[in-house]
Amino acid sequence: MNYGPLIFLAAFFALAASWFQFVLAPMVQLGSLPQTNTLTGVTYPLARPGEAAQGLQVYRANGCAVCHSQQVGQRGTVFEVELTAAGTNRAAVAEVLGALQPGLGSGAAERLLDSLPRTWLRVKDKETAEGAQKRLTAAGAKAQVGIVPTGPDIARGWGKRRTVAEDFIYDDPVLPGDQRVGPDLANVGGRLPDVNWHYRHLYAPRAEVADSTMPPHRFLFERRKLGKAPSPEALRLPPAYAPEPGYEIVPRPEARALAAYLLSLRADAPLFAAPLTAPLPAPTNAASAAGASTK
Amino acid sequence: MSQPRASTPLPASGASATDLSCRLPGLALFLAAALWLLFGSVLALLASIKFHTPNFLADPAWLTYGRIRPAAGGAFLYGFGMQAGLAMTLWMMARLGRTALAWPGLVMAGAFFWNLGVAAGVGGILSGDSTGFPALEFPSYAAGLIFIGYVLMAASGVLAFRQRREREVYVSQWFLLTALFWFPWIYSTAQMLVVLGPARGVLQPLIAWWYSANLLTVWFGLVGLAGLFYFVPQAAGGELHSRYLAIFSFWTLTLFGSWAVAPALAPLPAWITVWSRVATVLLVLPLLTVMLNLHGTLRGRCSLLRQTVAQPFFQAAIPGFAVALALRILGVLFDAGGLLHLTWFAPAVAQCWLYLFFAMAMFGAAYTILPRLAGRDFPFPALVRAHFWLALLGGALIVAPWAAGGWLEAARESDPAIPFLAVVKSTLMFLRISTIGELLLALGHLVFLVNLGSLVARLCKGLAMTALAEATAETRPAEVRA
Amino acid sequence: MNSSSPLPAITPGDREPRDRRAPVPVWVFVLLFGLLFWGMYYFDQHGGWFEAQVYPPYRSLADLQLYQPATGGADLARGKAVYDNVCALCHNTDGAGKPNQAPPFHGSEWVLGSPERLIRIPLAGLTGPLQVKGAEWNLAMPAMGAALSDEDLAAVLTYMRQSWDNKAPEITPEQVQKVRAELGNRSQPFTAAELQSVP
Repeated sequence: MNYGPLIFLAAFFALAASWFQFVLAPMVQLGSLPQTNTLTGVTYPLARPGEAAQGLQVYRANGCAVCHSQQVGQRGTVFEVELTAAGTNRAAVAEVLGALQPGLGSGAAERLLDSLPRTWLRVKDKETAEGAQKRLTAAGAKAQVGIVPTGPDIARGWGKRRTVAEDFIYDDPVLPGDQRVGPDLANVGGRLPDVNWHYRHLYAPRAEVADSTMPPHRFLFERRKLGKAPSPEALRLPPAYAPEPGYEIVPRPEARALAAYLLSLRADAPLFAAPLTAPLPAPTNAASAAGASTK
Repeated sequence: MSQPRASTPLPASGASATDLSCRLPGLALFLAAALWLLFGSVLALLASIKFHTPNFLADPAWLTYGRIRPAAGGAFLYGFGMQAGLAMTLWMMARLGRTALAWPGLVMAGAFFWNLGVAAGVGGILSGDSTGFPALEFPSYAAGLIFIGYVLMAASGVLAFRQRREREVYVSQWFLLTALFWFPWIYSTAQMLVVLGPARGVLQPLIAWWYSANLLTVWFGLVGLAGLFYFVPQAAGGELHSRYLAIFSFWTLTLFGSWAVAPALAPLPAWITVWSRVATVLLVLPLLTVMLNLHGTLRGRCSLLRQTVAQPFFQAAIPGFAVALALRILGVLFDAGGLLHLTWFAPAVAQCWLYLFFAMAMFGAAYTILPRLAGRDFPFPALVRAHFWLALLGGALIVAPWAAGGWLEAARESDPAIPFLAVVKSTLMFLRISTIGELLLALGHLVFLVNLGSLVARLCKGLAMTALAEATAETRPAEVRA
Repeated sequence: MNSSSPLPAITPGDREPRDRRAPVPVWVFVLLFGLLFWGMYYFDQHGGWFEAQVYPPYRSLADLQLYQPATGGADLARGKAVYDNVCALCHNTDGAGKPNQAPPFHGSEWVLGSPERLIRIPLAGLTGPLQVKGAEWNLAMPAMGAALSDEDLAAVLTYMRQSWDNKAPEITPEQVQKVRAELGNRSQPFTAAELQSVP
């Protein structure tokens, strides 16, 4: 019996099954993802500006993705009842608050109303949150239900929601990474918006983060003899990392592009697939100082 | 096609003609593989030192960690792994078919293109042309050479299968023939959709993950198992326990292995990641059936087992296979919300699979096949033993600390109260231990290369002496074997 | 294993291995089908049934809908009333459009895309060639929405964006008001190229 064609067919069948599942079906489904609108009506995502797109090539060439992921994880989502204004009938609102949280005296509840807006409840089911919001609204307060993704990555401030396919539609190559030797970068532009911080950190990581294990990328910078006056773009480094007197460190175009790319990483828009509401602004009332310090 | 060729008479023993036809390509492929192995492990050692000493050799761009780690991986996967695997495949195809290797010149041409491709790829990564996708980092100019090289070599293997005189097909032939077909499909798909005409958005990493799952799990798995299913029964009296179990392993490994693609946290819709996770758990089936098959083969025969120099490598590859798959399955069952995949645990599983299973099987194959091809034993049997212990210890000293450190890392990363830097620092001790492992591996590979190089050198010398004797002698010696 | 020195690799009497035909134990098949059953159950529970929008930790489209922020009560009934009255004659009540006359609304990139562009179309009309869902149209749509109030126009556009499997955020009367103010008393229709330049 000639087994050759049989074995070929077996291999063909097995590989075709995998090919349909992981190449063809995703191509059909995700291959032409359009720009969408965020839940707040803004068009998302926008293509990265030219220098940032060049920075992605520096990111690729130097294997940044070997150590850094761009995929924020999310373990769950909770509902928050957010109280934004107490309205005129403070006593009634305080009463509702006291009823919602039995241990709270009405005096303490009224004092809490001095520092608004604040998050009141954090619950897993929607009915409880909406019920509380309705009771607060009925009492004359302004309250809304917030939607907040949770998980260790989000608690670390690495992102506000999980990363989804829409975040990458204009990138080429798309490098979500496979390991976290360093922190996740999906949202680093929102987290660390100072370009000079990135220059100093790329040149000498330990100048910014003590005990950092990131290798320095001095080859992205130029050591230059000082002219009449220091260049405006020269890095202001701590003494331990500064060049010898008479020299200065200036970013090369690669470093500029890479920093521009890092600053452009902001995957935090609220989307249908990854819903969230905008976080509350900090309490504005003067009484908030006392409330914040006791928290 | 199904009739034996009448024009080529069956040789008396069946082996010597096979071995002679494989001599040049087999030795060349294994020698090049050993060179790439040593080169890759030196790069891996440098990368390993950089884990905990980031300032070490930081100034030249081409030596930065983000370049030498992928370069080390590429040298290992394509330079050593696939090259040694192909050498074993070609020899086994010829030998199990009781035929001579078809067109050894074609294989030599293929090997030339292949090694040119690997050199271009490693050089490309070091000079900043990496594509950035794991296991697919070689730039497109290297990929073309690699593809041509593969097709030339695989054509010879498929021809050897078609010309076989032994009509009964052994399971290893199934496995190897499938592997031969598998690579061109996945490599061309991945190159076209990821590198040459990139697909949009997350399809790129998805197809790169699909490629690397197919290459690592299926191609390396099939070739490594083909080696075990050949050499282990051969040493244990000549019979594999069950053909049906082996075919069951074949189906489950190819189907589920090629579905176990995307990690849990990947920015992909749930159906893709969940399907991958289920498929990974289903890999317990090839794990159990392979173990059952080998257990049945060896049961009651351990005392009869012929203890050749190569045998310890196969005996280590069996638990290597089991531990790698078991760790992988445990890793998706207890994945700390997807975080485990992003720690050192994932490289530990890959290292266990590629080194303690696949590379061990290939070393065993090299120590068995090459003496036949050269017609003489390895010059330093003691070095074989040294190589075994260095490889086993070194591999274990990488896999165990990475796995343990990764597990701890995932547990600590799940607690946002622990700063990330503290999480990173808790892995440093494990990484220092793994540097010792890398050092041992590099030494072992040096030993392997020395032994293999001496074998080739002595063979060449012997052949030269013979030729000289033939040229100068008045009467031709009937048979000169050095 | 014995501890005597290992044999050299070349040993006489090497035979090619043969395979016995021992059957696959029944429990392997039991395990296979058990695991397949578990796999299907697990996929059913977590896999989101091939929906492109469902990512972990969400389990299904219904689960994901639960977490959408309240839209502040978009009035779909009002929108439908306006739609049936004003738009349905050409674009059909099911949003499928009419061949050679009016392009479809469901799945249309113009309906689901930028609100700024969408609002302009009914306010001033649209003329000339236009690509919708990959098909070429040549249009002369009058300013059907110019006479509607901000609230009515917002309601009907929201209805179009959230019906017939369309899923896009609502359009508020404030957005309509803003665009109306930007257009001033423009009366000549937009062209597709002109609209493309609107963010």
